[in-house]
Amino acid sequence: MSRVNTVLGPIPAEELGYVAIHEHIGYGMPGCELDTNWWKTPEQRYEETVPKLRKFHEYGGGTFVDVTGICNGRDVDYYKSLSAKTGVNIIACTGFVGGDTALPFFARASVEYLAEHFIHEITVGIGDTGSRAGVIKVGVSRGGRMTELDKRIYRAAARAALATGVPILTHLAIDAENSIAIFKEEGLPLHRVLFGHADDGVNAEKTRDRWIAEQGGRVGFDTFGYETELEDPPFWARPRKQRLDHFLGFLEAGYLEQALAGVDANCSPLGWPGVKGHTLNYLFEDLIPDLREAGVDEATITKLFVESPAEFLTIQN
Amino acid sequence: MTAAESKTVHTVLGPVPADELGVVSVHEALLSVVPGAQYAFDITMDRVEIFETIAAKLKDFRDHGGKTIVDSTGMFHGRDVKLYEALSRSTGVHIVASTGMGPEEMLGGYFLTPQTNPPTPWPAEKFADLFTKEVTEGMVVPRVERRGAAGLVATAADRAGMTPTEESLFRGAARTALSTGVPVSLRYGNDAVHDLAFVLDEQLPADRVVVGDLDRKDALAAGAPLAIATRGAFVALDHVGLENDAHASDKERAALVAELVKAGHGDRILLSSNAIGVAKGQPDGDMGRTGRHLQYSYILTTFVPLLTEQGLSDEDVARILVDNPRDLLSVR
Repeated sequence: MSRVNTVLGPIPAEELGYVAIHEHIGYGMPGCELDTNWWKTPEQRYEETVPKLRKFHEYGGGTFVDVTGICNGRDVDYYKSLSAKTGVNIIACTGFVGGDTALPFFARASVEYLAEHFIHEITVGIGDTGSRAGVIKVGVSRGGRMTELDKRIYRAAARAALATGVPILTHLAIDAENSIAIFKEEGLPLHRVLFGHADDGVNAEKTRDRWIAEQGGRVGFDTFGYETELEDPPFWARPRKQRLDHFLGFLEAGYLEQALAGVDANCSPLGWPGVKGHTLNYLFEDLIPDLREAGVDEATITKLFVESPAEFLTIQN
Repeated sequence: MTAAESKTVHTVLGPVPADELGVVSVHEALLSVVPGAQYAFDITMDRVEIFETIAAKLKDFRDHGGKTIVDSTGMFHGRDVKLYEALSRSTGVHIVASTGMGPEEMLGGYFLTPQTNPPTPWPAEKFADLFTKEVTEGMVVPRVERRGAAGLVATAADRAGMTPTEESLFRGAARTALSTGVPVSLRYGNDAVHDLAFVLDEQLPADRVVVGDLDRKDALAAGAPLAIATRGAFVALDHVGLENDAHASDKERAALVAELVKAGHGDRILLSSNAIGVAKGQPDGDMGRTGRHLQYSYILTTFVPLLTEQGLSDEDVARILVDNPRDLLSVR
């Protein structure tokens, strides 16, 4: 039986539809909640978020995978209300965006404790929300190399993925030799890992995307829309055509089975201004039309946004 | 009427005349939560239980003659301003809460690896702005509202030695103290005199600073309590009731107090126990090992007699427990 945990409860993978695979309802670094510069009223947050999700749904979007880690403003009760009112399935994560977003309590924790925490959030629930995490988030801290804490989190995530059957999504796919070594040591099949942000402007050159695919990992081209053509592009922006060509080249090289795409949206950013002109709906308004224009057929598009995500997100046990 | 008597102190229920503070414990914790522990699957935060536990400890403090508790845990270690307001109303004990953060290890990534390229940690000026608003506009209930004014800025340095971000924290705390009139409470890293120098370098008068942790064995060995008092800052012996590998005994503390009084620094001494009302997320057994399970009244019930044995007069004791904290906490 195919099964995926959403914030409103488990659903069959057949119901997921078009999936935005690596997104955020609202992301902020831990501690930003202390700085009133970024505070928004609940009215503002709903106003910024609901129309984007509704439009996503109208375009045919079925599921939004939120990979906002434990200390980054993850707010499951809020996600539940958004999902219930817009009809978009929302999948929440357990885990951390990177060691540098894990607060001291978790930064001091052992692999065993972290794994137990992740497993609890996947099998019992997140806090007192009753919602179970559907994926595990891990990532590489700022600086380009995995820290000791990053490695502890990756190892705990591998154990939790094996114990529960949910997949892992990574923030950044740099330093992949180290992460793959950990996953192999723990015995986790690499098709249960989506190595994300292979396409971002800062890290694309340093990311061995094809090598990761050859090892059996999935590769995320999931920062679509962060373009140098934007009015005020972020530091990880990249020329639109360059990113698209990178992705098309990966597909043409025969890695379609292992490719996933998303836009790393921040519907209502929490501790930073966000990027003007970038939204979740880049996926339907720009990315999919660009792929069609480049000659990508419908079967491939369905594979990328419906079939592969369903296969990846389905709990495997 | 002395200058201090005309002044006020920021408590969680609003300004209180400084001469109403009575006996003060300057370095305590009400609710102490290791950052992140609030999300842990195996930690419960039962608000009723937390309230009742802390209220019982505050009443015990009050029943032994205590009138004011300073929660010196800063803005990111479990501080719960609404809870403290209710505790103060219910027990009659004045509660002074703090802004500030530190050591660096306890900070969130927002301050250490911000979403900029490169991810440069916050400079002193930004910390000063954050802390100052907690005094001038009120302490935050994150993403909800501001409440009453913080009564002091608390920060700390790493035991292995002050980090560059901690230098920013210390300088930021000093700037907030200068612009708002509240004092700075700092816990030193591995060199009290060195660490104090950063706040003094910001032109903050030494008598607006209390240096904590000065009853650690390494502080005593270095002669730090006398050195700090000589510079004009307040000396906090703030682990009264605790004796372990790192901390002196109460007997040694009492002797040190007598020594400082004899040397003419009776107006620089502060006492506290670093007791915790309710702790969440501390490593197993840490509460017992660090003595933080102590009652806030421990100084009044158990330590004051040791001071009397050392020959301190009632006036000396009153100066340490009442006058000195009043002078420190009075907003200038």
